[in-house]
Amino acid sequence: MKMVGVDVGGTFTDAVYYDDQSGELAWAKAPSTPRAPAGGVLAAMDRNGVDLATTDRFVHGVTIGTNAILERRGAPVWVITTKGFRDTLEIARTNRTVLYDIKTLKPASLVPRQRIIEVDERVLADGTVLRALDPDAIRQIASRLRAEPPAALAVCFLHSYLNGSHEEAAVTILRAALPKWFICHSAEILPEMREYERFNTAVLNSYIGPLTARYLSELSRLMRSRGYRGAVHLMASSGGIETAERAARFPVHTVLSGPAGGVAAAIHLGGLVGVRNLITYDMGGTSTDVCLIEDLNVPLTSEQFVDGLPVRTPQIEINSVGAGGGSIAWVDTGHILRVGPRSAGAVPGPACYGKGGVEPTVTDANLAIGRLASSLKLAGTVALDESLAEQAVQRIVAVFDSLDVPRAAEGIIRIAVARMVSAIKEISVSKGYDPRDFALVAFGGAGPMHAVFIAEELEIAHVLVPLRPGNFCAFGALISDVRHDHLRTHRAALIDRELEGLEDAFVQIEAAARSAMTEEGLPAGDVSLQRSAGMRYVGQSWDLIVRLPAHSSDSVALAALFHAAHERRYGYRAADPIEIVSLRVTAIGRVAKPKLSEWSITGALAAAQQGSRQVWFAGNRCNVPVYARDRLPRDARIAGPAIIEEMGAVTIVPPDWRVAVGSVGELHLKRGAQ
Amino acid sequence: MNNAIDPAVDPITLEVVCESLIAVVREMRASIIRASYSPVIYEMDDFSCALFNARAEMVAQSNDHPGHVMPMPWSVRCAMEDFENDIHPGDIILLNDSYRGGTHLNDVTLLYPVFAGDRLVMLPAVRSHWADVGGATPGSYSGLSTNIYQEGLRMPPIKLYERGQPNKAVMRLIEANMRLPEDRKGDLNAMLGAVRAAEQRLNKLFGKYGLDTVLECLAINLDRSEARMRSRIRTLPAGTYVYEDYLEYYDEGRFDPVLMRLALTIAGDGVTADFAGSNPQVPGVVNSSLAVVGAGVFVALKSTLDPGGAVNQGAFRPITLKAPEASIVDVRADAPAGAHGEVRKRAVSVMLGCLAQVAPDLVSGDLCGTSFPNSMGGRDARRNRSYVYYEAPAGGNGGFAEADGSSVYVNVDFGNIRSIHNAESLETDMPIVVEKSELRVDSGGAGRMRGGLGLHREIRLAGEEAVYSVLSDRAVIPPYGVGGGASAAPVGVSIRANGQDVPLLTPGKATGVRLRRDAVFILQSAGGGGYGDPLEREASRVAADVSAGYVSEDCARSAYGVALDHEGRVAERGTSNLRAQLTGAIVRLPVVADEFSPYEGIKGRHRVLRMRSATAQRLGVLSNQLVELLGRHPAPLRAWIKIDEGAPADVFPLDAFGRQVLGVAAGDAVRLRGIETPIAPGERRRDPGAHEIGSRIRRPII
Repeated sequence: MKMVGVDVGGTFTDAVYYDDQSGELAWAKAPSTPRAPAGGVLAAMDRNGVDLATTDRFVHGVTIGTNAILERRGAPVWVITTKGFRDTLEIARTNRTVLYDIKTLKPASLVPRQRIIEVDERVLADGTVLRALDPDAIRQIASRLRAEPPAALAVCFLHSYLNGSHEEAAVTILRAALPKWFICHSAEILPEMREYERFNTAVLNSYIGPLTARYLSELSRLMRSRGYRGAVHLMASSGGIETAERAARFPVHTVLSGPAGGVAAAIHLGGLVGVRNLITYDMGGTSTDVCLIEDLNVPLTSEQFVDGLPVRTPQIEINSVGAGGGSIAWVDTGHILRVGPRSAGAVPGPACYGKGGVEPTVTDANLAIGRLASSLKLAGTVALDESLAEQAVQRIVAVFDSLDVPRAAEGIIRIAVARMVSAIKEISVSKGYDPRDFALVAFGGAGPMHAVFIAEELEIAHVLVPLRPGNFCAFGALISDVRHDHLRTHRAALIDRELEGLEDAFVQIEAAARSAMTEEGLPAGDVSLQRSAGMRYVGQSWDLIVRLPAHSSDSVALAALFHAAHERRYGYRAADPIEIVSLRVTAIGRVAKPKLSEWSITGALAAAQQGSRQVWFAGNRCNVPVYARDRLPRDARIAGPAIIEEMGAVTIVPPDWRVAVGSVGELHLKRGAQ
Repeated sequence: MNNAIDPAVDPITLEVVCESLIAVVREMRASIIRASYSPVIYEMDDFSCALFNARAEMVAQSNDHPGHVMPMPWSVRCAMEDFENDIHPGDIILLNDSYRGGTHLNDVTLLYPVFAGDRLVMLPAVRSHWADVGGATPGSYSGLSTNIYQEGLRMPPIKLYERGQPNKAVMRLIEANMRLPEDRKGDLNAMLGAVRAAEQRLNKLFGKYGLDTVLECLAINLDRSEARMRSRIRTLPAGTYVYEDYLEYYDEGRFDPVLMRLALTIAGDGVTADFAGSNPQVPGVVNSSLAVVGAGVFVALKSTLDPGGAVNQGAFRPITLKAPEASIVDVRADAPAGAHGEVRKRAVSVMLGCLAQVAPDLVSGDLCGTSFPNSMGGRDARRNRSYVYYEAPAGGNGGFAEADGSSVYVNVDFGNIRSIHNAESLETDMPIVVEKSELRVDSGGAGRMRGGLGLHREIRLAGEEAVYSVLSDRAVIPPYGVGGGASAAPVGVSIRANGQDVPLLTPGKATGVRLRRDAVFILQSAGGGGYGDPLEREASRVAADVSAGYVSEDCARSAYGVALDHEGRVAERGTSNLRAQLTGAIVRLPVVADEFSPYEGIKGRHRVLRMRSATAQRLGVLSNQLVELLGRHPAPLRAWIKIDEGAPADVFPLDAFGRQVLGVAAGDAVRLRGIETPIAPGERRRDPGAHEIGSRIRRPII
């Protein structure tokens, strides 16, 4: 079986190709083509020499929806909502995330007030109907909208997560009357209480719906024209994949999927090499994504935001900071050296790219002290100019008497590292995890260059660098299974009398989950189901999602599971009564995936060395040997300082650290001489 | 890696250590959220953490509520004064005294002295809103308290732990004086967990970088924040700038505004905020401490002059505060102090009024000016338990040079608080139905940049009898506009029963109003003030506001002078005619110097503008009506018309302070603009259904 994974980033499109007959894994990068993204995807595959006619699987990580939201380029969305609640989106939660600035503005709603239409219907908090929906009112709205150019629409009624009949009835009429429109309703996107977050998630879905559908149909057309006959799968924010057809219906599932592939790949690698607690550190040009993985479980959350707007579908819990290789160092009015959040981006890029940038970036700092070299070409295309990097860093030196170029450059890197360290503390220490219990998995173009310095600050003893760290996300797309999350609001006190309906409810959800998988073409034998429930102590506002065994309606057993989960997460258990607020079923459909082959390079370590260069570490200049990663022999051990170069990335091993090549070519960096 | 430090800490270590200290505060916050049980913390984020050095200076915080953390140094100082040399490892100090750096009594503060050997080096602190601290009403606040004893249990700095040993007597005393004592124990445990976590982290930091290095970094960081603030202040023209505004007090049911007066002196790189002339304290919920007022002063200065950058005590150093003792801005026993939010916000208002005179591009129109906390409690028969509804709906923000103010968005002094709940959560948890929750049309002050809109929220009681209370301000005297911008709509509360909307007798303030099933309370939060002359707003933007429904067609005509055609497009001719007409209708009269005190009131003080009845008639204003005068300075001077046939004819008599507010001299012409209010000074709201008993207003159950 032949398969290809493609990840579209802001600057580069990465592709990974795998043939399970030969066990061959191939990698390529091509410049992204934001104007015709589907074309860029095909170009990246061409560079890999992929023959689509003989390819069986294609998995794709996309950022088209995310970018449309960030750049506010989505479709015009109309909203039909409950009378009295037309301003739910604009009112939002009223909080202010930026303090001490009188000119801060609330994030703008995606829907202008003129496009919000109220309907006199009302469902109450117990699911009963106070005022029934009048179908004629919907028909009138439909005929009014027929006069508008086809756009997108979201039907958002109160308490639809409990009683969706009004939303469904409205959608049936609207879909029939407006066949060219993208239409969804809030309960089908997220059947969960809290109208602001639910409505907003549905609106985001509609906002990026037409664009995503257009892109996917263009991509499918191009691929079919080259003879591809398999399914097109998309990476979802939940860390699973889903078919293009499903993603076209629920494009909001892909909104935070960019970094998801890397997390999936890290979990895969951790399983292969037997390291079960991981912190991923994915550093690119403009941003860095970190994620904490305990016991190889995907950490899921539904409380993330895109550009200030909540998205409440299940997503991998990833913390992003606006700091990357392109982050600019500057001196603020208080005479303090700062790095980011402004970035040189792809244009002009860091000063050393020679494309007109003059301000020093993290990449320039690395080049100025030898951690990068002008002999390297980033992604094989961009040449680096050392003197331009030094000139840029000189701008900082000019401000501080106490610094010279090497000290300023190391300082810029240390400050950037401090920001990453903060980001990792937010997902570890702040949540009750000790980072020392985790290994750091470093990838992305700039990750392996800074990983050890981050590990030092957090006292992490073990750093893992996968092969081709720059293509790790694309690889992650290929090793992910199909995943669907089904959710239903179901309130019940944790007493046997109220749990009678539980099993029936789960069975119904599971039936729906199985048939959705069948629709995606997965044989029943490859599908597994996992139940869980949102539970809380009565009186608490937020629920905790607890995994449940199949067929358990025993209140004592369920309570024990909840108490334990609560204690793990929040550090205590209470004697209060417990309630269930939602039921969830996660369906996983297993797919064929690549196997990382054993690292087979043999020979002398010396044969892998390709020279040496002067590099600064902690104010000292060292002569550091440089190795080609592709020629490192199996089980090789090198004491730092050392530099290991490969396509698209550089791994830095400072003095007092050592590195060993692992069984599938991964690098293990550890503290201490040996 | 080598962490050895040069004697003069290098800029990189400095940044890394400071970042680490903020991370300590972040960890404290996470620890509180993890352990807490109260929706005030879970849903609203109403708590704050910070680190203090041994000189009681705040050295680190992290996106914490400015209204909490900025007054905290006063508390820390008071505690250190009280215990002097009697603070030891293992001591934990508890306090909530509104007179000594506290805010309202609900905000309880825990201080945890951290020692290196026997040297006190740092104090992590948590200030957290407890849902109840005793007092007259559930929730411990009410708009009509007359002394602090009605507001709850007052705790001066006391040792909850002494050398590691808990003082059980203190705990029992607290439990005996608060509602739901079990929950209070939980709140306290959450706070204890946070400060203990902070101690551990700090010790590690000291171990890694050395205590002296960390302390030196802190000292440098404070100095740098100070230098940064001073360099910003230095850009302002030196001089003294004055402004005045009001809080809304009812003296035995009669409206009696109290005066807040500020003289802001900018001298070189420092400022002095002198509140001389502010009202003596009154037996009503309009007083607060200088600590709280200082927070307002700081927030206004920082968020206009120097947005961004670290917030710590260094940035506060250039500010000197002065205030008369036992006044509304420096309250003493035993006056009520529950209105800390309103007093802080009014301090922001007078600061903006002064700053508008020196940096008009940096300020905005007045903010909605009140936190508007509402509560309702009762018993839910269906679920067989008690419930408390609590929301403090945000209002509008002022317009500013570049943009319209945001609508229904908490003000800059209020932190990252979520001020309302989702309707679905509320309806699920208690017997109420949210009938409506929408933007309040025409509530934003008109201006070249419009003020943000307030919220209109209608909530129906679907259960049996319940009790409703509210503590608000800006319910009579609306937020002002600047640069010719108009006032916003004030807060409104009414109660609908049997199809009739009845406004509160004392606008914005009520204690224990009893509601019956199907009564609806209607909350209208205030808008933000306008910025710049509304007649200069681009007509197309007015048309867009009308099309979106933010502004009514009537208001477009009357406030903006914009006429629209039947398709909602700007009618160019009609608009220029209307604008010419409105410009022509502006009334201006010359000012004459009159140093006779312009203030009247019962216990309060409000400015009166004396004029003959003939003049009033000509200007179209009524006796006792609120008006504003617009002079050279951007912010207006408010006054109430007093008909006085002895007043000079066809001029505005103004004292020196009034002239200074407007930036005018005798002989200059100033403009007068009328403002509608629901009630005038000295007036009791006429309500046929109400009857008085003693000094309290009661009314039948609605």
